[in-house]
Amino acid sequence: MTCYRFRQTLIGLCLLLFLFTTPLLGTENQTDQECFESRDGMSQVRVEEISPGQVNVKCSSTTGGVLWWGDPFAGTIPMGDMDIEADYSTEEAVVKPREPELDKNKMLTICSMACHDGNYVPIPHSKNPRRLKMHLDTVPDALNLKHGKGNIWCLDCHHLVERTKLIDNFGYSISFNQPQKLCGKCHGQVYRSWRDGLHGKRIGMWDKGGKKRWWVCTECHNPHDVEQGERNSGFAQLRPESAPNLPKGMTNANHERMHHGAHSDGNAHE
Amino acid sequence: MPKQDSSKTKDNKLTSRRDFLRSAGNYTVASLSGAAMLLSDPKPAKANVTWEEHFQKNYRLMTDEEKQQAIERLETRYTEEYGKPVTVDGSPSMEGVLFGYALNIQKCIGCRRCVKACVAENNQSRGDEQQIEWIRVLRMEKGKFSEADRDQHGYPESFGVQVGGNAYKPAGVVLEGQHYYEPEQVPEEDAFYFPMQCMQCEKPPCVKVCPVRTTYRDPDGIVVIDYNWCIGCRMCIGACPYWARRFNWGEPNLPKEEMNPVTHYLGNRPRMKGVVEKCSFCVQRTRKGRWTACVEVCPVGARKFGNLLDPNSEIRKVLAKKKVFRLRADLNTYPKFFYYMD
Ligand code: SF4
Ligand code: SF4
Repeated sequence: MTCYRFRQTLIGLCLLLFLFTTPLLGTENQTDQECFESRDGMSQVRVEEISPGQVNVKCSSTTGGVLWWGDPFAGTIPMGDMDIEADYSTEEAVVKPREPELDKNKMLTICSMACHDGNYVPIPHSKNPRRLKMHLDTVPDALNLKHGKGNIWCLDCHHLVERTKLIDNFGYSISFNQPQKLCGKCHGQVYRSWRDGLHGKRIGMWDKGGKKRWWVCTECHNPHDVEQGERNSGFAQLRPESAPNLPKGMTNANHERMHHGAHSDGNAHE
Repeated sequence: MPKQDSSKTKDNKLTSRRDFLRSAGNYTVASLSGAAMLLSDPKPAKANVTWEEHFQKNYRLMTDEEKQQAIERLETRYTEEYGKPVTVDGSPSMEGVLFGYALNIQKCIGCRRCVKACVAENNQSRGDEQQIEWIRVLRMEKGKFSEADRDQHGYPESFGVQVGGNAYKPAGVVLEGQHYYEPEQVPEEDAFYFPMQCMQCEKPPCVKVCPVRTTYRDPDGIVVIDYNWCIGCRMCIGACPYWARRFNWGEPNLPKEEMNPVTHYLGNRPRMKGVVEKCSFCVQRTRKGRWTACVEVCPVGARKFGNLLDPNSEIRKVLAKKKVFRLRADLNTYPKFFYYMD
């Protein structure tokens, strides 16, 4: 379905390369600069002036990550109907829609009309996973799904016919903008914790009744690779912001890399 | 301590109470008529603002009217200095609110975004000459243990008194509290991370030692500082068990274009040389209902903040559902900053 993801990744990579190699980077927070929120490459935001001298976000010149929200609600839409009650039922709850992020080339609609209209491409009769024969270029991680240790496959999450949608337990469709409804099918405990405002993050107003922007699952986790290799962690590694300056006169931080107590072979860290 | 170019300081008027008292003292020593001149000299409007600012009362003892005047003086001065409209808020504690903070050390990946977000929000001094960060993130090593180190011979040459264990290469020695880690990617496999900032203690040692009572605890739990009344004695820095306070040894470097113009008198308004500062739970935001900058920026959602008096707040849910501890609870400082694990 994500017929354009590969190109996107390429563009993303080039952009990153560009970001990391351009000395211009020092002049941070120029409007039109692109940076990422939680998931590098898949939660992008553009620096824009929202009022004279005020920007929507400030970005790190070291990592390209968002550091500061001038307007926590810029570019958000209402969270939409949720079937279980939580704070979002009584407060104004907004989310950043995921569709524009996944569909930068505006292809999803075309995909679902041109081929995946429920007739042209046969609906698989067996749930036995089979190798994807088409679109290998567009779904680069599809042949290497790292989610569920081989026990789930594409159509456990993606809708059988509507390729622009995800699927719930009854076969009804779920919008890409509400991935929590999909993920909550299996990850119930995390889902509950998210509804409580404990798992994941929210920005905006802390007070009861105040407006909040809720982060949804795929803004932090890559559903096609939640294992992240050996690390077995749902959150991909990030480049850290720079360390504090060393105290004046100190040239390195070796003092804090010494394993004290080890006399003989002085095994400094690294 | 680096000597700053004094020309800036001079026309920028006297920059801290301490500087002022020092120079006033000099006047007296030099000649009494000097002091008299200082008093009678007709000053331009800008300098009059300074004069009143230096002789204003401790913020906590001011009447509402005096507070308002102090705030207006500052707004005028900052707006002029930074070339953009700067607001200084004086909002007091909200009714029925006691702020609490919780940090999930299981989730934190050590990315230091909170550190930099805090700097962007709170107008700290930046650059090589004087870098001030209110949050520190410590890298804690998980430790490696090997069969080879499991030596039961104490001192092999029979020196010393140790009986058992490996005296030369003790198993289980781990690095704790590295500030300067800089790997390509975080989190690293062999480490976890431990951010620290002001704990907003309910019985704050910093407040107990302040000789001029310029740092005090407000009813919403935030321990604040009136920078104008700070004499820079740094007693509070010594008293704080959590390494939370920073000192402006030199003139802070805050570039105009990076300055955050939305400020609070007791929070992120620009500081001057010779005063102490620290985390204020983003008082300029939180007393207006907004989350702190570090809560908002944390990419893994490890930081939670809210009203401890509201049983439905997320901070109360953390306290109710997670495994929670406070740093150095043995000191009876009663921090309002909690650490937790899932
Ligand atoms: S953590 Fe330190 S600075 Fe903060 S209130 Fe406690 S003693 Fe004071
Ligand atoms: S931003 Fe969050 S994850 Fe990163 S160091 Fe701070 S608390 Fe840890």
